[in-house]
Amino acid sequence: MPMVLLSCDSAIPERQKHIYLKAPDEDTREYLPVSNAATIPGTLSERGCAFCGAKLVIGGVLKDTIQMIHGPIGCAYDTWHTKRYPTDNGHFNMKYVWSTDMKESHIVFGGEKRLEKSMHEAFDEMPDIKRMIVYTTCPTALIGDDVKAVAKKVMQDRPDVDIFTVECPGFSGVSQSKGHHVLNIGWINEKVGTLDAEITSDYTMNFIGDFNIQGDTQLLQTYWDRLGIQVIGHFTGNASYDDLRKMHKAQLNVVNCARSSGYIANELKKQYGIPRLDIDSWGFSYMAEGIRKICAFFGIEERGEKLIEEEFAIWKPKLDWYKERLQGTRMAIWTGGPRLWHWTKSVEDDLGVQVVAMSSKFGHEEDFEKVIARGQEGTYYIDDGNELEFFEIIDLVKPDVIFTGPRVGELVKKLHIPYVNGHAYHNGPYMGFEGFVNLARDMYNAVHNPLKHLAGIDIRVAESNTADQYARAEANPVYQRFFDNPNQASGNDSLMRVAG
Amino acid sequence: MTACETAEIPLAEVKFEPKDRAGVINPMYDCQPAGAQFAGIGVTDSIPLVHGGQGCSMFVRLLFAQHFKENFDIASTSLHEESAVFGGTKRVEEGVMVLAKRYPNLRVIPIITTCSTEVIGDDIEGTINVCNRALKKEFPDRKIYLAPVHTPSFKGSQVSGYDECVASIVKTIAKKGKPHDGVNLFPGWVNPGDISLLKHYMKEMDVEATFFMDTESFDSPMLPDKSIQTHGNTTVEHIQDSANAKATFALARYEGASAGEYLRDQFEVPHYLVNTPYGIKNTDDMLRKISEVTGKAIPESLVHERGLALDALADLAHMFFANKKVAIYGHPDLVIGLAEFCLEVELEPVLLLIGDDQGSKYKKDPRIKALKERVHFPMEIIHNADLWELEKRITSGELKLDLIMGHSKGRYIAIYNNIPMVRVGFPTFDRAGLYRKPTVGYRGAMELGEAIANALFAHMEYNKDKEWILNTW
Repeated sequence: MPMVLLSCDSAIPERQKHIYLKAPDEDTREYLPVSNAATIPGTLSERGCAFCGAKLVIGGVLKDTIQMIHGPIGCAYDTWHTKRYPTDNGHFNMKYVWSTDMKESHIVFGGEKRLEKSMHEAFDEMPDIKRMIVYTTCPTALIGDDVKAVAKKVMQDRPDVDIFTVECPGFSGVSQSKGHHVLNIGWINEKVGTLDAEITSDYTMNFIGDFNIQGDTQLLQTYWDRLGIQVIGHFTGNASYDDLRKMHKAQLNVVNCARSSGYIANELKKQYGIPRLDIDSWGFSYMAEGIRKICAFFGIEERGEKLIEEEFAIWKPKLDWYKERLQGTRMAIWTGGPRLWHWTKSVEDDLGVQVVAMSSKFGHEEDFEKVIARGQEGTYYIDDGNELEFFEIIDLVKPDVIFTGPRVGELVKKLHIPYVNGHAYHNGPYMGFEGFVNLARDMYNAVHNPLKHLAGIDIRVAESNTADQYARAEANPVYQRFFDNPNQASGNDSLMRVAG
Repeated sequence: MTACETAEIPLAEVKFEPKDRAGVINPMYDCQPAGAQFAGIGVTDSIPLVHGGQGCSMFVRLLFAQHFKENFDIASTSLHEESAVFGGTKRVEEGVMVLAKRYPNLRVIPIITTCSTEVIGDDIEGTINVCNRALKKEFPDRKIYLAPVHTPSFKGSQVSGYDECVASIVKTIAKKGKPHDGVNLFPGWVNPGDISLLKHYMKEMDVEATFFMDTESFDSPMLPDKSIQTHGNTTVEHIQDSANAKATFALARYEGASAGEYLRDQFEVPHYLVNTPYGIKNTDDMLRKISEVTGKAIPESLVHERGLALDALADLAHMFFANKKVAIYGHPDLVIGLAEFCLEVELEPVLLLIGDDQGSKYKKDPRIKALKERVHFPMEIIHNADLWELEKRITSGELKLDLIMGHSKGRYIAIYNNIPMVRVGFPTFDRAGLYRKPTVGYRGAMELGEAIANALFAHMEYNKDKEWILNTW
């Protein structure tokens, strides 16, 4: 099957190169969607900017760091209150954002003094905080403010603080992906190796590319604790700034999100000789496989098997309860990039779910290679999908549920299709064994929502025509789901109630 | 609720100062392009085209989705490095043509600049001329209005950006025609619930009013036919005919009034700026002014509605609200209006926070002067404020508050300092359905008063603080 030109794209036929429908017996490499290319203006793409890739996705996760955004107010306002990445110190990272609130006079005369003053103010106002990341934005990059020099000066004035600078204005690159890259490379070159780690275990690793969405990192940390593996740096979920300066001290780099953070793993290998091991932390079978690989590396296979056995005993029956009921569900995934290949095979194997369409905002060629290899035939693989394309794809594949962001979720709600928050989750964490049961539960609750059937009923039409729809709505008794909350369950009690 | 307090008689001094820091910790407003985008989606068959980086529209769309729980169509020119070096006008041209080709019903494209494209110095007016010629050639039977909206992010805020875009759309589309008896109503940055209520008032008064912008459908249904009705209701025809109205009423000094002034200066449409109708008296003044100008009487039904509000508020004011100290933050028209409402129900708005760099304008606001003369307790008004100004006054112990009124961006201050909070303004994403509830007019005053009372009551119960007071009420 060649690349697909949707009818909504007749005016922009170059979009054909970005949409692939997988067919049997094809050399999929021949048909890789073009990716990581500039968006066509006016298409209503889903993409963000490079600045947000650095600040919102990676840097802003840190739990003890001032995020000083050197630019007009919007860049700070817009990258605040849009994420769900808690921390174990009271969510400092979600409560605050800092801006130099740049004005026209700074555009004309330069903003360095404004930046310096704002940095001192921020440290003065929050005297317990000693770490800061400074980001440039479109206008400060255009006028050429030397933020590195300012940071150096402030560090000289305040010997107890440490400051990192990220220079990736919103217009750089084609998507948020550029910001991931800039932050990764800057950090490894400027900050890794500047602090020594206290080693408390024979087994040490960095866990790279997970951002503690709804507690992902904290859940996985319980596994590493049980395995006796010391995590030197979490890049960057629930992490402190200084943890990440010690990453060179680990024996192994375990990578979950290869797109946002693979760069630093590669550099740690190149510069410090630390091997890189890629795993999928989403998915029941994948998680077990990942734990086995990590334990094999350290030669602690028995510990790994014990952990997996214990987790399976608790969570596998719950997973299977959902699998039985989700079998054949048609799912679409419209997220950033890597979750496409993390999820497509795991929901198929672990939950019997069919992924029928996937769109990536910022994935690169290697992401499409992975997802097309793992994904099903008859499925659409889309780079940088836009709104009209989504409507058309929905008509073509008729998904039962879409994993995407809240705004697109509001859009597809009108089409009577439920969404699950594929970025920040509905009720996570979604990583690990427990997490994948959470994902299954949220998918089940979304797919079996009676409102979806009620929405299709036109009350002006005689009841005989709508009775079957009422029946469908009622065929999904709500009480079952209210009783089944794996998060609160100890053992199989809640499950038994449902099953019984 | 705190122990029964005797009313003190402190020195009634009103301070009006900007914050003394250069930088911002926790902003109250987004930047100008965000406000412009909000105005731009208020027009039917309009897709704003934001000329800047992709984040400038993507996050604003998310913000609107958070507040309204709806999706809105906003496009980007997706500015990249080469445009930063060589200029980005070609991307505007391409964006306009792509939108026109793919959206056959499109009639208006506000072209909204950002900090980057203003620094680069792209000639938007010139580009619009180029686009108009190209559109005419490609679509001889269609008319698509392109409105230049200059909103560099390093000036003003979402408030001035909204004002700028409303004005630009009106300037681009309004045209002299046959005079009519209808009036133009510029409600400012309000919710669908406010628009519904104001429409109801105009209907009761038999006044034909057109709203700029009519955002009532930003609260839109799930329908059996799966149609999507989430869009602005102000049409091109409405905007054209705004030049021929009997009068303009602007309900918000900083949000839309510039367009009314333009219609006055250009088309001699009489322009009336009334106090933003928060609270009873401001609503009285608005209705009386509309009645006076249109010659339409205020009907019995509105006397009744006013009475209902007074009746409800009288149960709350001196029993529960008196001497309670309140901080209010948000848009200036909202904050000033709410402060006036607070005084009506005996709440004491001791701290008002309004943001951005337009302090010289706010200083001259007659409503602020009037507040200074009216209050009998010390009041602090901070302009160019951020939310850290509120937080640090609370955490330092300098300010004891009984209530916070403001939008959801300040939620953690209330949560972590255990202070009751009533969400009001934009955005209010952490409470369900607030966009549907009016805050203006008599009903808005009543519902706000009740929301305040219920927030105080719930707080008493959670904290076991005189929760027994409500044992009988």
